[in-house]
Amino acid sequence: MNSSDVSSRGRRAFFRTAVLAAGAATLNPTPSQGAPGDATPAPAAPVGYLCFSPDEAAFVEALVEVMCPADDLTPGGIDCGLAYFMDRQLAGPFGKGDRLYRRGPWRPGRPEDGYQLPLTPEQFFKAGIKAANQACLAAHRRQFPELTAEEADRMLQAFSTGDLKAPVFGFSEWFNDLVYPLFTQACFADPIYGGNRGKVFWSLIGYPGLPAVNGLNMVKYRGKPYPGAHPPKSIEDFS
Amino acid sequence: MGSSRMKILPERAVVIVGGGLAAGLVARQLVRQGIDTLVLERGGDSRGGAESKIPSQRDELRWDTRHGLMQDGALETYTLRRSRSEASLPMRRLSAFLPGTGVGGAANHWGGQTFRWNDHNLALRTRFEQRYGRSVIPADMTLQDWGVTYVELEPYHDLFEKLFGISGKAGNLRGQIQPGGNPFEAPRQNEYPQRPLEITEAGLIFKETVEREFGFKPYPSPAANSPDPYVNPDGMRLGACQYCGHCERFICEANAKGTPEVLLYPWLEQQPKFELRRHCHVTGLDFDRSSGRVRGVQYLDLATGESFLQPGATVVLAAFTLTNTRILLSAGIGRPYDPESGTGVVGKNFCYQANSGIALFFPNRWLNPFLAAGCTGTLIDEFNDDNFDHAGLGFLGGGYIGVNVSSGRPIGQRRLPPGTPRWGTRWKQANAEWYAHTCAIGAQGSCYPHRENFLDLDPDYTDAYGQPLLRLTFDFRENELKVSAFVTEKCRQIGRAMGAAHLGPVSSRTAPFDTRLYQGSHVTGGTILGADPGTSVVSPRLQHWDAENLFVVGASVFAHNSGHNPTGPVAALALRLGDDLVRYHQKPGRLT
Ligand SMILES: Cc1cc2nc3c(=O)[nH]c(=O)nc-3n(C[C@H](O)[C@H](O)[C@H](O)COP(=O)(O)OP(=O)(O)OC[C@H]3O[C@@H](n4cnc5c(N)ncnc54)[C@H](O)[C@@H]3O)c2cc1C
Repeated sequence: MNSSDVSSRGRRAFFRTAVLAAGAATLNPTPSQGAPGDATPAPAAPVGYLCFSPDEAAFVEALVEVMCPADDLTPGGIDCGLAYFMDRQLAGPFGKGDRLYRRGPWRPGRPEDGYQLPLTPEQFFKAGIKAANQACLAAHRRQFPELTAEEADRMLQAFSTGDLKAPVFGFSEWFNDLVYPLFTQACFADPIYGGNRGKVFWSLIGYPGLPAVNGLNMVKYRGKPYPGAHPPKSIEDFS
Repeated sequence: MGSSRMKILPERAVVIVGGGLAAGLVARQLVRQGIDTLVLERGGDSRGGAESKIPSQRDELRWDTRHGLMQDGALETYTLRRSRSEASLPMRRLSAFLPGTGVGGAANHWGGQTFRWNDHNLALRTRFEQRYGRSVIPADMTLQDWGVTYVELEPYHDLFEKLFGISGKAGNLRGQIQPGGNPFEAPRQNEYPQRPLEITEAGLIFKETVEREFGFKPYPSPAANSPDPYVNPDGMRLGACQYCGHCERFICEANAKGTPEVLLYPWLEQQPKFELRRHCHVTGLDFDRSSGRVRGVQYLDLATGESFLQPGATVVLAAFTLTNTRILLSAGIGRPYDPESGTGVVGKNFCYQANSGIALFFPNRWLNPFLAAGCTGTLIDEFNDDNFDHAGLGFLGGGYIGVNVSSGRPIGQRRLPPGTPRWGTRWKQANAEWYAHTCAIGAQGSCYPHRENFLDLDPDYTDAYGQPLLRLTFDFRENELKVSAFVTEKCRQIGRAMGAAHLGPVSSRTAPFDTRLYQGSHVTGGTILGADPGTSVVSPRLQHWDAENLFVVGASVFAHNSGHNPTGPVAALALRLGDDLVRYHQKPGRLT
């Protein structure tokens, strides 16, 4: 174990404590917009990863903190549940290759042919983490979780534009077709999947979530701000 | 699956392969006349399941992003190459188009835009040659007339609209142009059974702009979303649409979408002459070449693992474009198409659509994209079909243009102005700023057949049952690139005139075909109809030229794809086929 493992573990432990201590208040960035009856605290955040190793977790936690920094708009990515969402998706059917055709022959394709590797999405995600950490070591002598926010941001840019090549596969496919979609899904999927905690991203943009009926609203709020978006309703609210 | 191990079942009068929209409509016409009809469907039911009930129905990640209702690509997908000189690759994650599965087929989770195609489309080659001269059609554009006229189909369009409670506004009532409707539509005998859906805010901006600035005639999208409670001629009921924004790609929780699982199969299953067998994956046809007859249908019962031969006096393929073609190819019925010589027919004229769109941003207008139904669209046909002069343009075809607002689902339907960072605080800010204030103006571009776009069986890849996958040899060719560039530029001009503060990238459909991007599920051709047995698979009455008791229905029979959604003509052809099969049952022979 090298020193960066230790420091990233320490950092993760700090984040977890922050989640637990912060409680509901930080999970709702616009509490003033909620109806009075909606002040019930968000359920306690689940702790622990199913499929990430400590090193992988450190990478993903650093990633979501760069892509979703704590600011006036939302808590940081970890507190929003984004790393947790990715872990659960990769540990579950999606990560194991559900709905993915996985018979040979395996031929190289162009990006427009879509994913063509025998690796499951979970394996590909993790192989990408390894390669990304190596690229960071080469560029900064530190692994991704140890980079400053600016350095990490620039590395992500380089992965996404394809400026950097991983030894065996393209970083741009890894980032753009796997990591980035998981990130936006983590932000905007129903909170039941573990991301978008407290419906924070739905509140942010004004998405009402799961309206049961909208027939009259369609006319009444055409061209007007829609009050039903505050607070939004999720699967849990109907369960 | 050696046929020696296949159990042979008692013969049925009509056996239909696939239990989707077309199958349900054919079956309806047959069982009304008391004719024994069996449908074999590979999937199960969605009624009453998590996909149809609140709150699980409103789960974007599960049903939309992860394609929870569609064909499982791990079991069966398609391979693609863009030219004959390339090796094919499987579409390992089905994304560009999404075939359905289960009782009701893709039409359970369709959007519901329901068009009639006019005589121009049904006699495309003749019409173009008459207007522009014979040389206008490039040698590699294998356009063919359908051998069917709109007048023959009109009563069946009318019936389908009544069965599915289609909403809309007539534009041409018995030859009289109607204000508020589409003046380019073919003449209809009757108004739509239901009033149009409510217009969206984005639709209003579009409508006002194209009327004022261009003098175009916008019309509400015809819709299988029921604006009011509705009872169809069979006594089947639709609820009122709730504009919930979870329509296309979803099962309607309010029973307000015209779908086979609501309107056809529950009724059919009450009829004594009807049987639906679920979880029956059809693997082939038993064809007797010497007599030119199909003996029956081979299938694998997914619930028991047993293989069966189901004999049928009449056999109908209604298993969507791709399975229809694949089954004919694997059964060796009809000559496979050979692009080298341009001869053969099965697999020929595979078409897609050249769809495109531009995001529009209106900082001061509340567009509320989540207040929407599958078909809350406002459209124009000025640049569709041959409604504009193609002389000197260098392409044939066009598309409808309009503003379809069908959802504000935030994973897939957020739009951000160009130049927005892809993450970070400014990304979040932009999402908050723009989410309720954007829409897209889009075009549904036609796709005409090309000599090198075709279907055959892949030599290397197989499905979970060990059968060859269907191979697509396809790319967008010069004509479609030009069509898309033309209609997308019209979108840009209209978008500008609408007063959008920002426009997204003006990206028309380009080559190479990108299998990662959803571009609509409207794939057509492969078993095309026509009056000449040398250039078509089935007759204009959908009877196979080489197997008298075999019929094929669905968009696989389309000789080309147009700038309108395909399901209206699929439905009209299916209802007409049902009536034809009643005649055939009474007096077998070649139908004329
Ligand atoms: C998301 C989406 C939105 C759409 N929106 C529109 C729209 O707005 N307007 C429009 O016109 N069209 C739309 N469509 C297309 C429309 O759904 C189809 O045109 C229509 O369903 C075709 O009817 P069909 O009977 O040919 O095929 P389907 O309805 O798909 O039925 C085919 C059936 O065959 C079964 N089958 C396939 N292979 C086998 C086999 N080997 N053995 C047994 N059974 C088999 C399938 O499981 C399926 O149930 C949309 C499609 C999708 C996916």
